[in-house]
Amino acid sequence: MVKFLSEEWIEYGKNYILEKLDPEKDMKNITTSLLGIIEHVPPNDIIMSFYLELKDGKLNDFKVNNGDSFQEANYVIKGNYGIYKDILQGKIGTAMALLKNRLQLKGSKIEALKIIKPLDGLIESLRDITDEFEE
Amino acid sequence: MNQNNVLSSDKISLEESVAIAEKGTHCGMCRIDFLGTGLCPSGKKYGYLAYWPQGRMEIVKHLKEGKIKPTEKLIEIANSCTLCGICDKQCNFATQLRPEKVARALKDYVDKLDKSQIQTVEEDDILRGLREIVGKDWATNDPIIIASYIRSIISPNGELNFYIVMPENTEQVSKIIKFANKNNLPFLPRAGGTALSVATPTVLKNGICLEHGIVIDLLRLNKLEIHPESSSATVGAGIASFELQKEAYKHKLRANVAEAGAHYCANIATTGIVTTWGNSYGCFADNFIDLVLVDNEGNVKKHSDMGISNPYTTEHGFTNISLSPSYIITEATAKLFPVFDDEEAVLVPFDNLKDAMDMVIQLGRRGVGLSLAVLSYKYLAEFICPNRKIAKDFEEICKNYIKLRYVVDVICDKNDKKIVEEMAKYSIDQSMMRTLILGSPKLASLKDSEFMKILSEEDDPLKAIFAGPMRKHFEKGLDASPEQLAKVYDKDLQDFFKKVYSKPEMSNVVWLHAFRILPSRLMRQMMTMGPGGAIWAGDKNHILKWVDMFAEVGNKYNLEHALGFISPLDNGKFIYIEYDYFYDHNDPDVANRISKTLLETTEKSLVMGQIFTLINYLFKGLYRKEHVLYPLFKGLTKEEQELFREVLHSVLGEF
Repeated sequence: MVKFLSEEWIEYGKNYILEKLDPEKDMKNITTSLLGIIEHVPPNDIIMSFYLELKDGKLNDFKVNNGDSFQEANYVIKGNYGIYKDILQGKIGTAMALLKNRLQLKGSKIEALKIIKPLDGLIESLRDITDEFEE
Repeated sequence: MNQNNVLSSDKISLEESVAIAEKGTHCGMCRIDFLGTGLCPSGKKYGYLAYWPQGRMEIVKHLKEGKIKPTEKLIEIANSCTLCGICDKQCNFATQLRPEKVARALKDYVDKLDKSQIQTVEEDDILRGLREIVGKDWATNDPIIIASYIRSIISPNGELNFYIVMPENTEQVSKIIKFANKNNLPFLPRAGGTALSVATPTVLKNGICLEHGIVIDLLRLNKLEIHPESSSATVGAGIASFELQKEAYKHKLRANVAEAGAHYCANIATTGIVTTWGNSYGCFADNFIDLVLVDNEGNVKKHSDMGISNPYTTEHGFTNISLSPSYIITEATAKLFPVFDDEEAVLVPFDNLKDAMDMVIQLGRRGVGLSLAVLSYKYLAEFICPNRKIAKDFEEICKNYIKLRYVVDVICDKNDKKIVEEMAKYSIDQSMMRTLILGSPKLASLKDSEFMKILSEEDDPLKAIFAGPMRKHFEKGLDASPEQLAKVYDKDLQDFFKKVYSKPEMSNVVWLHAFRILPSRLMRQMMTMGPGGAIWAGDKNHILKWVDMFAEVGNKYNLEHALGFISPLDNGKFIYIEYDYFYDHNDPDVANRISKTLLETTEKSLVMGQIFTLINYLFKGLYRKEHVLYPLFKGLTKEEQELFREVLHSVLGEF
């Protein structure tokens, strides 16, 4: 169990996804990439992002960046630290966060919604390993 | 005691007051002065929902169930009520409830409280920050005040980890949003709250309510200026439709407004202003000249700003669903329209929907009339009858005896009136409508009478009473007068209601259409859910199939249901349909069936295609109709239907 956005979180996340998620059953063999931009990260109110790439349902890349230069991705979601925390604490689902404008999406909504189920499964797995947040 | 069993003026316990409170539906009519009584003094002074009658009703429920414990604010809330009786008069008109009894029970409860039970609520950093923005009195984390917002922005199931803040201008709204973001707290604006209260008992609850964070109550943004020279008005987010209309009428101008208690700006943000006047006055972005908005980052924007990207457009397709506003509208520049001296109401009765719909679409395309609608017998009964029992009997008479199933309801000038009358075999004029309104108790009492049986055997019972030899007898027999109507109210309120119904506007159909004080009766002691949406007017079979679908689903789930209204839009190119389901919002089983109905009718509508459903309508009101309604999406493919289900399942739950 680790802190959200830490190096350990990335490592744990990678291992967890590789071990626990089935590329076909859980991830529907999707090939896509997602950039999650996180605003107002405490304690210094900075911007961070994580990049996640899947190829045929397998995790190809997963990393965290500081600052506001971002990697290109098929989908970009943007929101404040609080909403990511709520998602990882299971208070709100990713699709709901999108429909409630808590997360802003860049990219085709219909295509994004197609991957929402596998994405939710993936985020649920990150929920299992994340227990610490900045206050 | 009358038929509602809750209307006597005796003292009652907190437990007994809960029985009244549970019947409340947050129609919000106690926050507008629609009967000339003035406003609740405590609500007006303190602002927070907790100090208004509807808020007290929410509080007693949660005190009784132990969700909240007494605080100092509870004492202030209870003692701030002067027992002036305004709320009883207002609420009785709309819902037949007596909220003053709840206030009295709350006072008794507070008087008997062991003061050691009173909890202290500490100010935390967030509250301190909010108070720095709005001032000490206008931000709170008191659980009693928070609880008053349950069911009209806060879900009844969750914890009360909220702050309530009441800004008084756009700048403060902007600062609150920036502060919320910096502190990673979600926020949601609240205006009239009625749309939120309609959604709360259903599966929409999780999508529509705020999960935790900051409730931004917009009531204090109460700027209202009428500009007669430009036929426009500046309207703050705290202004209700009724208040805007009242000011506009002073200048012989009219605004296109939603139900009386709905806040004008919030209504634009939520669904746009959907009214029977839409064909003439417009819909979606037609209704405003300019808006002041605050976006989710706290930036203040105006539609009229140079250099902003097109604010009138939105994504197409069935997946364009939003469950929260993208902006908080803090101020609108509204369009106003002239009120003519020769305006009249003409209602044309029909025994079938197809003919009624043909006529209203024809009128819409020809540009005849200012307000156009097909109303079902159900709407007519609920609107004009002073209580539900009378409405029920009235309905039965309409349906089973006089075969009045629908009326084409037209507000027009005298020239258009001639056109309507030429198109109709016969009509119900203003004088007959006055008779029906004031004589509704007597008419309802004739339900099983010999007179009704004879009438029902006529070839055309509608013609017999509205245009035939029976009209005179019918009018005389109904004994329509304010005195007669007032008798259905509690004894202590009869004089008041006699005076109310003696006012010409209370039986003036044009005024009632403009000020819309009667739709609140659809929510009297019960809840209504009205899915529907926009559909092309060209394919009438498609429209009739759509209406039949709503009826079939209502029957499947064993619900009380009826068509609400149909109104043409955009010169009769589109029509808007509302189909209503009525239910007891305190019964989880029926609420569950309502949820299933809402989702199933939405899915079926999308599969039928060429329909813009209510779910799609949500939060599209500030866009241009040309961008929203053109083109309407085709029916869903199997794959899209699966996707739609999957998305809604994952978001809202199984159905």
